[in-house]
Amino acid sequence: MHANIFNEMKKGAVVRPEYRAVVDWIERNGVEALQARRAEAEALFRRIGITFAVYGEGGDPDRLIPFDMVPRIFNASEWEIIESGSIQRTRALNAFISDIYGNREIIKAGIVPESMVKGNPAYLEQMQGYRPPRDVWAHIVGVDLVRTGPEDFFVLEDNCRTPSGVSYVLQNREVMSRMFPELFRDGRIRPVDGYTDILAEAMQAVAPPNCQGAPTMAILTPGQFNSAYFEHSYLADMMGIELVEGPDLVVENQKVYMRTTRGFEQVHVLYRRIDDAFLDPQVFRPDSMIGVAGLMDAMMAGNVTVINMPGTGVVDDKAVYIYVPDMIRFYLGEDPIIPNVQTFRCNEADDLAYVLDNLSDLVVKEVHGSGGYGMLIGPTSTKAEIEAFAAKLKAAPKNYIAQPTLSLSASPVLTEEGLVPRHVDLRPFVVSGATTRMVPSGLSRVALREGSLVVNSSQGGGVKDTWVLSKGAV
Amino acid sequence: MLSRTAEGLFWMGRYIERMENVARLLDAGRRLDSLPRDPSQPHNEWTSIIVASGASETFPAPLDEADTDSVSDHLIRDTANPSSIISCIEAARMNAKAVRNAITAEVWEAINDTRAELRQHLARGSDRENLADFLDWVRLRGGLALGKIDNTMLRDDSLRFIELGKWFERADATARLLDVKYHILLPDVTDVGGGLDYLQWTQILRVANSAVAFRHLYSRVVDPQGVVDLLVLNEKSPRSLLTSLSEITFLLSKLASDLPVQQQLANEARAVEDKLRAMDIDEIFNHGLHDWLTDFIVNTNQMAQKTSSAFGFGPEASVGHEAEREAATQ
Repeated sequence: MHANIFNEMKKGAVVRPEYRAVVDWIERNGVEALQARRAEAEALFRRIGITFAVYGEGGDPDRLIPFDMVPRIFNASEWEIIESGSIQRTRALNAFISDIYGNREIIKAGIVPESMVKGNPAYLEQMQGYRPPRDVWAHIVGVDLVRTGPEDFFVLEDNCRTPSGVSYVLQNREVMSRMFPELFRDGRIRPVDGYTDILAEAMQAVAPPNCQGAPTMAILTPGQFNSAYFEHSYLADMMGIELVEGPDLVVENQKVYMRTTRGFEQVHVLYRRIDDAFLDPQVFRPDSMIGVAGLMDAMMAGNVTVINMPGTGVVDDKAVYIYVPDMIRFYLGEDPIIPNVQTFRCNEADDLAYVLDNLSDLVVKEVHGSGGYGMLIGPTSTKAEIEAFAAKLKAAPKNYIAQPTLSLSASPVLTEEGLVPRHVDLRPFVVSGATTRMVPSGLSRVALREGSLVVNSSQGGGVKDTWVLSKGAV
Repeated sequence: MLSRTAEGLFWMGRYIERMENVARLLDAGRRLDSLPRDPSQPHNEWTSIIVASGASETFPAPLDEADTDSVSDHLIRDTANPSSIISCIEAARMNAKAVRNAITAEVWEAINDTRAELRQHLARGSDRENLADFLDWVRLRGGLALGKIDNTMLRDDSLRFIELGKWFERADATARLLDVKYHILLPDVTDVGGGLDYLQWTQILRVANSAVAFRHLYSRVVDPQGVVDLLVLNEKSPRSLLTSLSEITFLLSKLASDLPVQQQLANEARAVEDKLRAMDIDEIFNHGLHDWLTDFIVNTNQMAQKTSSAFGFGPEASVGHEAEREAATQ
């Protein structure tokens, strides 16, 4: 691995103070002990049933996401950057979504071109003019961050549709605290178990205008064959609310009801984990079997709040991403705390020419793509792959953006050969209701193959527990 | 509770119970098959097992060619048979997974582990090598799941829907087990009440774990009237039809809300139970045991269907419409 890659555990041969306790544990007990605990942890994950279905690959559909036993650790001042930067970004993103479904001041001001809305497949005409409770559109936002140096964080992408992965944050911690109670005993590691309380509070705070008293809340899942079903079920369980599927819900008189053994019960806040296109067959895809006919109508009538709001996907677009720093300046009057990665727009002639000349050094992504599919990683691709991609790029340049290959920070990973550094990213979860808040942690995804930069779980990435140390801990 | 959750719990209970009962039926076949008999006479114990298990439609060979291997395979590992042991555990697990939030971790683990181990057994072929041991194992695992349900679940509606499924299934299974005897050939009409007849009834009792109970309760030699009395009308038996019905009545009365359709169902169940309680064994035999059992199986299934619609699941869910009217008048 490259010498200029930021190693999160060690500076040269010296262990950073945040990692001292963990390294001491390993030196005291040996790597074998760590490997034995990993086997225990895997058995635990399988027993609890935390699996992640991957489609189209054959093999066991209920497989485990590889879990790495070495925690990723942030000190208080590093977390300060991540937290304030992610909250700032989330506030700007919500302001932007409100604006484009409202008066479009940012377009009038000439800061974001209208094409970002018009040509955006996630833009929903139906939402134009709608104002959700408290003007919150994206109640849960996953901000994907990468790091290249001690205080050098970058936003890689924003996830405002229905970001997943938070259950791993909570379960990874649960398992780690069972495996290493001695490391948690002194209370330096900030707890994460408040997440579902924060989420429930936020959901209550955005109850629809026609709801009197405490709202009835539910999570809408596509069902047990969805890859994130475990998470849907876990969150419902932790919040003590029903986990419903489309056929469990019915809309009557613009109100949403659950079918229960005692008749119909009204639902006021619905945290849906299905895509916009499947949400309501009366409005979107008519063939949707997992949606609820009449849901949009009920929402417009002020009888139900949908979380996240339909149409928030406009900001997940990688072409819109480029403008987020401008949004922060425009809506908040602040400078971005965490910058974007430098991004080339392939629909602009100069940028395209540069990209085509430098494909072997760049990462090229589809504007509307996600999950690490349909992208080119220049430095690890063959000449033939690059040529094939260049042809695709020239055919439809507006579908692509390009970014320099960052030397992502590396975190130690336990392998058969002991600890080795591997690239990591971080997805913290930002929750907005009456206020915008986070729990001190996030999903650290790690590339398990040496040199690989792809951390997506659908492509063989693993996860780690992410620790944030309290102030004065190191 | 969501109607879909109630449905999942109900079927989870049914399939766990069914898995164990299919093992019991196979055990009956194994025991009946090993009774001493004149090899020159025709015999069809295995055919009777297929008929009684309700698998005549899915059995891949002509019914009169049924033998140990073909019936065991069909009732244990054939996924084309929706009531084979493997199908039962897969269905129980599928339902358990869908209602994972409504059951305890221990119940989930008992079912999930049983499914994993069963798949290993089948891959190793251990059911073919030693049928009796394998069937014991299945009954043990069924018992484990039911024990975990009883010992770890809150005493609330979730538990009641599982138990409701269990008792509907058990009523059905005990009736089918008794009916096995009807389908077995006796070499000669004069053999009715003879040695082989006696041995066959004894094996039925064994399969229902009731041979010792019979001696305790009836203090006489095993006879058809006694076996049927024990497994139909005796409320002390954990598997009798009356016990099953009285549990169903109790559960339906606990589950019924003030919705009229649910009240009505609970009353109906009580009426059926009272009628059975008032019966005596001669009435059943005068009616013809096989016909009486057939009626019982049909009626019980109808009641199970009414139960699903009254609580808002199944193909004819009725509770929603009723509530819709309520909602409209709010």
